[in-house]
Amino acid sequence: MATEAKTESGSIKDAAGAAIHTSGLTKYYGKKRGIENLDLEVRKGEVFGFLGPNGAGKSTTIRTLLDEIRPTAGVATILGLSTHRDAVAIRRHIGYIPGDLALYPNLTGRDTLEYFANMRGGVDWSFVDELAERLNSDLSRKVGDLSTGNRQKVGVIQAFMNRPELLIMDEPTSGLDPLVQREFQTMVREVTAEGRTVFLSSHTLSEVQRVADRVGIVRDGFLITVESVADLRSKAIRQVEFVLDSPADAAVFASVAGVRNVIANDRQVEMSFDGDMGELLKAATDRYGVADIRTSEADLEEIFLTYYKSDRED
Amino acid sequence: MAFADIFLKTARDRWLGWAIAAASLTLLLLLGMSTYRDIDLSVYTELPEAFRSLLGIGDSVDVGGLAIGYVFGSIGAIVVAVMALVMGAASIAGEERNGTMGILLANPRSRTRVLLSKTAALVLLTALTVVVMWLPVHPIAGLLSVEIGGLEVEALALHMFFNAVFYGMLALAIGAVTGNRDTATGGASAILVLSFFAVGLLPLVEGLEGLRKALPWYYFDGSDPVFNGIAWGHLAVLILGAVLFLIAAAIGFNRRDLRGQSVGTTLLDRVRGNPRLNRLVGRLAGSARVSSIRVKTASDYQVLLLVTAAAMFLVMGVLLGPMYASLPEETLTAFENFPEELIALFGGGDLSTPEGWYILETFGLMAPLSVILVTAIMGAGAFAGEESRRTMGLVLANPVSRHRIVLEKAVPMALFGILVGVATFAGVALGSVLGDLGMDVGSIAATAALQVLVGLVFGTLALALSAGTGRTGVAILGAAGGALVFHLLTSLANISESLGVIAWLSPFQYYLGSDPLINGMDWGDAAVLAALSIVLFGLSFALFQRRDIRQRG
Repeated sequence: MATEAKTESGSIKDAAGAAIHTSGLTKYYGKKRGIENLDLEVRKGEVFGFLGPNGAGKSTTIRTLLDEIRPTAGVATILGLSTHRDAVAIRRHIGYIPGDLALYPNLTGRDTLEYFANMRGGVDWSFVDELAERLNSDLSRKVGDLSTGNRQKVGVIQAFMNRPELLIMDEPTSGLDPLVQREFQTMVREVTAEGRTVFLSSHTLSEVQRVADRVGIVRDGFLITVESVADLRSKAIRQVEFVLDSPADAAVFASVAGVRNVIANDRQVEMSFDGDMGELLKAATDRYGVADIRTSEADLEEIFLTYYKSDRED
Repeated sequence: MAFADIFLKTARDRWLGWAIAAASLTLLLLLGMSTYRDIDLSVYTELPEAFRSLLGIGDSVDVGGLAIGYVFGSIGAIVVAVMALVMGAASIAGEERNGTMGILLANPRSRTRVLLSKTAALVLLTALTVVVMWLPVHPIAGLLSVEIGGLEVEALALHMFFNAVFYGMLALAIGAVTGNRDTATGGASAILVLSFFAVGLLPLVEGLEGLRKALPWYYFDGSDPVFNGIAWGHLAVLILGAVLFLIAAAIGFNRRDLRGQSVGTTLLDRVRGNPRLNRLVGRLAGSARVSSIRVKTASDYQVLLLVTAAAMFLVMGVLLGPMYASLPEETLTAFENFPEELIALFGGGDLSTPEGWYILETFGLMAPLSVILVTAIMGAGAFAGEESRRTMGLVLANPVSRHRIVLEKAVPMALFGILVGVATFAGVALGSVLGDLGMDVGSIAATAALQVLVGLVFGTLALALSAGTGRTGVAILGAAGGALVFHLLTSLANISESLGVIAWLSPFQYYLGSDPLINGMDWGDAAVLAALSIVLFGLSFALFQRRDIRQRG
């Protein structure tokens, strides 16, 4: 008993600087794996994107962090507090949007917000009105009469309204139109500008790419990697396209390290490339005159698919 | 083929409920026959004709007839009718509520076709239920060597089937026209319950007997089918009614807009458009009462409380006082010579006294049932309801502990149970004054207090099951099934000595066992019931604290 308390306080101490810290977090539903041995650290003041395909374990992780479900093994802390033992204390400092949000259909948006505000305290109603206006949300209508996107807006306001230190959002932009999504991203940046933290899960990578500082990729219950968005991009695959002065031979390019999927079409040749650009240029110019080069940075979508694909081939 | 799919899906959704109902009724029949076998039945022949019809007993009395009349004629018929009713309400309105009607109608099927498939599934599944209930009758009679050769069991089963289809189609029609499942369930149940009781009560008042013919339940057992065989005229009335409901459903369903998930504009919303009514209606409907979890919980169930409390106060309380006073003399004197075991059969209702009248009509069944209805629905909805609507995660993201949530859900539940008891007490006390019956107010209060306590046992049982499993169905079925089994055990134990010991296991024994309406409060019994509730309440804390919150219903 004493040892257990010691280790727990030890891990809490280590995690004091982190917004979220998990160590060996594992959740099984019977024999079915939810997440396995998840070690994660979300720093204060950052936007952390939690990426993965459907069923990867994103919601399981989030629901475990919120003490909705209890881990099979491992521990987690939020703002240095144990997610299970200090669950109530933690909830004073967080805002949350569950994936697949459901609200009370017979309440209006404002009633819904009032209900949660009364439990939480510290809600500034002029801020609520401001958020409603920014998201173009009509709070006087019954939630049951709202479309999915408009319901989601109520969920978003609900999470932001008490200016929590940490926002945990499970696929928060599902159902929102692009304009509202942009406003949402602005709101997320404002949160981190105030030194507060955002943890958001998504399978829409372009969304995370725009707002996140770091990204964790989870698949089949395992955390595959955590990297900064900048690092991911820099090491990332590019799409390279040459226009040459004579018909191209695909084999010339395929032999360069880092080149994949070469498609030669007369004087034009396209490939995916994640090697040394100097070598590729040399291979091209040794043999041909180069009329034009185009390269485009792959977005996270492609990077993600690469991780996903390479893992699957293992 | 749409019909096969709809049939199979409905069967898959509901088989557990049927299995439990069929098993309970079989058990009931077994217990009933073996109990009746032990008692001297000659007294039955002395019952006034009107009273026999109230109890579903025919002219020729024997063990088989009594047991079958009791099990099939009242309880079984109600169970099958309620199951058909629930199925009917879910047929169209239920799909709209779940938001699945849109997908269903996106298939190349017309609305009428969907309606007909749903109707066919309802009729066939009701038939199946009746058959499953009928199957064990003869084997049980054989097993217990009870002679039922002279009884028209099959005729009764057929009446039961058409009766159930009638209520199923009524609920289906209300649901199809309004798109509101709760309106369908509530409206059809109200008609079922009122007509069931009115058919029983009207013959007791001189001159009103003819009114029974206006009530649908009369066409189920008004002709005593178990003794007299099939009454085709009566069946024709039920069939005609069901067909008319189907036509109404088809017209209503084809004309209106489909409702989106869950709400839409309700009648209350339209009434609320009038600013003068708005405040009153807002209170009644319980909208915008969100200052805390317990206030919201209370406002969510305000309508249920109001309807139940009003029914107990007016119908089961006030109305019965003057009604007793107007009962013909011979009905009352007939009772004075009755042996105790027969009186026990009516739940201790000795009609020669006003107390006995109120026990028979109000406190025996309806009073505990009303408290169980309100508290078990609230208990089951407490956690499992929020989980199946997927709102529990959001609630738990706020700084409230799980213990606190249990408390905030349990307090309104207990309060509402008490309020139903208060309404019953006030109704009976006022009824006693109006009928000049001279009943002891203290004893009425004691009985109502015990009524609340016994109801809360099953309310907290639902709460604990809801806390432990997160499944509304388990909580409701567990509490309702528990209440049914224990109530039955107590009723039968009062007739048959051999069950006497088992009866003490039943919470209902601690409710009317001490005759509180005559003897006043039995604090020992009250303590037993209170202790049971407290244990179950404590269990809810422990169970809800431990488990994972369900993401889906």
